[in-house]
Amino acid sequence: MPALFLLLLVGSATELCWAHAILMESTPKINSTVSGPDIDITLRFNVRIDGGRSRVLLVASDGTSSSLTLAKQEKPDILQMHASGLKPGAYKLQWKVLASDGHMSNGDVPFAVK
Amino acid sequence: MLVKLVDLFSFLSVVLRAGTLVFQSVLLGGVLFVLWTARSSPAASEESIARVRASSWKLVRLSAVGLAIMQLLYLYVDSAVLMATADLGFSGVVGANFFISGSIVLVAALFTAIVASGDKQVASWALPVLTVVIMAASVMTNHAASRLEGRPLLVTLSSIHELATGFWIGGLPFLVLGLYRAKDLDTRWYITERFSRLALCSVGALAISGLVMSMIYIGSWQAVLGTAYGIMVLAKVTMLGALLILGGVNFLLLRNYPKDQVMPRLRRLIEAEVGIGITVILTAASLTSQPPAVDQVSDTVTPTQVWHRFRPELPRLAYNFIPETDSATGKPLPPPNANAVNIDGVPLTPRFINNTIESESNHHWMGLVVLAMGLFALLARTGKAPWAEYWPLLLIGIAVFIVLFADTECWPVGWKSVGACFADPEVLQHRIAALVSVGFAVFELGVRRQKKEHDPWAMVFPLMCALGGAVLLTHQHAISNVKENSLVELSHVPMGVIAVFAGWARWLELRLPKENQAIPSWIWPMCFVLIGAGLLNYREM
Repeated sequence: MPALFLLLLVGSATELCWAHAILMESTPKINSTVSGPDIDITLRFNVRIDGGRSRVLLVASDGTSSSLTLAKQEKPDILQMHASGLKPGAYKLQWKVLASDGHMSNGDVPFAVK
Repeated sequence: MLVKLVDLFSFLSVVLRAGTLVFQSVLLGGVLFVLWTARSSPAASEESIARVRASSWKLVRLSAVGLAIMQLLYLYVDSAVLMATADLGFSGVVGANFFISGSIVLVAALFTAIVASGDKQVASWALPVLTVVIMAASVMTNHAASRLEGRPLLVTLSSIHELATGFWIGGLPFLVLGLYRAKDLDTRWYITERFSRLALCSVGALAISGLVMSMIYIGSWQAVLGTAYGIMVLAKVTMLGALLILGGVNFLLLRNYPKDQVMPRLRRLIEAEVGIGITVILTAASLTSQPPAVDQVSDTVTPTQVWHRFRPELPRLAYNFIPETDSATGKPLPPPNANAVNIDGVPLTPRFINNTIESESNHHWMGLVVLAMGLFALLARTGKAPWAEYWPLLLIGIAVFIVLFADTECWPVGWKSVGACFADPEVLQHRIAALVSVGFAVFELGVRRQKKEHDPWAMVFPLMCALGGAVLLTHQHAISNVKENSLVELSHVPMGVIAVFAGWARWLELRLPKENQAIPSWIWPMCFVLIGAGLLNYREM
């Protein structure tokens, strides 16, 4: 039996991710198209987020990325930022946030600029 | 490399969180035990109660040191993950909520260890203060602290829940220790009776706070089976039910039988309670790293989807792979048909389908062996088929199966060299599992053939079963598709719970007086049968 459980664990542990904070809503929306070149970005989560210890990267389709500066948090579950000078094309927001219960979570928001 | 390291540290973080919760509960239970349950009284022998108190103080100190060590490791691992993923320096981590809370628990635990070693008069007022500090700091990092609505109510409920867990489940190891240390029946009776009253109040507080929190965090009946969070809560409730049955039996024994008849049975039942209770705490730790079901409304699996995945079907013992690439162009082939879709309706690739077919078939073969083990153990239990006592030999069948089919690309059936296979961590783990199987087959058969009274080696098998179940409950699969993850949990969690029950039922069969062994001796083979049946119906698509 112990060997069986070891096998079950190994067999099913294909990819580890420890999601805790869930992205409830975003602007731009996932897979949406927005007008550039300047956009306001808002991420709303299901729990309180430690904005000072969270990071959001903007990744372009050629793989180049830039770290976005987070605005001062007005609500505990919302992160806001601004991106400027975006050329038309596909982008991805990569967020890594620390929930106030100590869990790190990450995720992507793919979108396009027209 | 960094990603792998962060994954490993994230997994360690959950394990350390579980360890922290266990030590915290035992510390809370211990403080109440030394300050209230095991107080001197004319109803107990003075010498005996002094022995109980001395050993309890020692366990309180050990729990405090254990909590401090776990908390230190937890802080280190969580800080490392945060520094690596958020590009922060150590100074940036220091102000984080988890760091402040963890540091408070660490310092308070160290003070507790010091206070518990010194003057007992000082300890009698300092320990309650320190445990309140530990509790408050601990609640700062649970689900309640991060919620947006109803935070005061949730923090209150969470505190009651953790306190009641500590007082009851955390106090059980002290009761077991006390029953060993007290040499006379009156003292044993005295501490058991007092603990029983306290446990009864704790169970009430635990059930009410748990029920209200479940209603808030789960939110709907559908989410009970439709989310990983709901399934884990259900596992906790099931194990709590088993604890209540054991507690109820203890309660009835205490009130209806003479002291000298009750004590031998009571001690063994409490040992099983400790084991199942600690598994419940480990499951709770795993639950704290899952998002509440109420936040996953759009990712909740429907009853139809659950039925589709778990409806009884014939096991897949033989299979053929479908072609993955076009033989002419060498390009990957599209999904084979319109029905080959995942739970979200996304088409499955031929490669994914082949991997799933192989995995399902492996589980089904394994289920066949476990089912046979359970049925043979049941037959052996009837006393009419002595040959069935050799059921542990079937574990060698599992080992052969693992070596031949778990990694078909490897020696002895595949094309990969032995060296290349053993360099792959997954293959290495499979081969170790095979070796462990053979070891256990020989070991358990030896124990059964010798049939020694009070053979300590006989306890290894039930303990490993219970440990395997606990690991299955605390381990997270965390597959990127939330719904698929819930369905995987729905297949694994029941097997974990049943394995825990199998382990502790076998423990009771071995430990209880002969005249009380009948019920547990039927339970654990039936648990094996259930696990085998579950594996035979295991599906991933």
